[in-house]
Amino acid sequence: MGKTKITIDYSKCGDGVGIDPRDCGKCLQVCDPAVFLRHETLSVPQDPIDPQTWRITAVWLDLCNHCMKCVETCPQGAITVS
Amino acid sequence: MKHGAGGKWYLNARNYSNDLAKEMNMEQYLTDQWRMFETVFIRKIMGTSSIGLGYKLKMPIIGRVIRWNAEKMIHSEAKNRNPLRADGHFGQVLPLEDAKLVFSELAAEPIIENYCMCRAMQRGIKEVCCFNFGVLSGVIEKLPRFIPKNTKLRLDREEAIARLEEHNKNGKVATVWFQPVPYINAICSCETPQCGGLRLRTDFGLKSVYKAEYAIRVDPDKCQGCRECIGMCQFGALKFSPTLNRVWVDPKKCFGCGLCRHACNFDALQLAPREEFPGLKGLY
Repeated sequence: MGKTKITIDYSKCGDGVGIDPRDCGKCLQVCDPAVFLRHETLSVPQDPIDPQTWRITAVWLDLCNHCMKCVETCPQGAITVS
Repeated sequence: MKHGAGGKWYLNARNYSNDLAKEMNMEQYLTDQWRMFETVFIRKIMGTSSIGLGYKLKMPIIGRVIRWNAEKMIHSEAKNRNPLRADGHFGQVLPLEDAKLVFSELAAEPIIENYCMCRAMQRGIKEVCCFNFGVLSGVIEKLPRFIPKNTKLRLDREEAIARLEEHNKNGKVATVWFQPVPYINAICSCETPQCGGLRLRTDFGLKSVYKAEYAIRVDPDKCQGCRECIGMCQFGALKFSPTLNRVWVDPKKCFGCGLCRHACNFDALQLAPREEFPGLKGLY
């Protein structure tokens, strides 16, 4: 099997549009190996003490089991795994 | 206890002192680190981020360079350390008894208990189980996302011990942290795989967390084979043998946290100093 790729459509979740990953976070909890990371978005200027724009990034890609639970669970349909 | 006498770095009182924190200019350093801690795994460090780290470490030659660089960074004692990379930030597992000793005699006040960042960033769950002390407490108190809503932030030593014991018996591994070495300012209640530190150790073999100064022994005469302890072990060190109708330990996998003892009703599990296990010499 080749390398796992997980993409998140930031026009549907995070970065201040769509839903706020701090309110949802379903992908974070449904993933057994905890592949995802929720962090402040670096590409926009933020209040360093209390950043308000957050996104999810799939970090630990090699640990993904391809169970597809994140894809099924995401209420925005923002996640693709290949 | 004579300060600084033991071989255990976390029993050296100097490592907790406000003088050391001042000398190291910790307030500014830790503010820079904690303001953006959640981004440590997505930042490019020497040209590469932690995204797909497992794949990167498997690359021939390059993988070995990345591993070498990562270890160097985790254990860095250089003068020009970078807070955004969490340079010099590593820890060690410790059993409840030693963690209590840190709270009762060593940790610099104020002691706070705040939301665990690792669970928040990797599970989206805000859980109050992370203890910080000394200068770091003041730094975290200024960051709204770490401040618990329904529990007390500042704790006295007895309260901290009681809370830690609760977490430990609940199945969370106590760990003590340099942040950065040699300043000690945190005891966490960790759980794999959503602990940033344990993740690097258990999934990628990086020495971000050392095993405790102890390992577990099973008394074969006392063990009744109920297997309750196995569910407590986060490191896969305990196995059940149907043939022997008892539990046995793989000492090389044991991190010496002592959690399994909380589940045993027959007093069959005992922690022993790591040096008493000839096969574990130098293995931390």
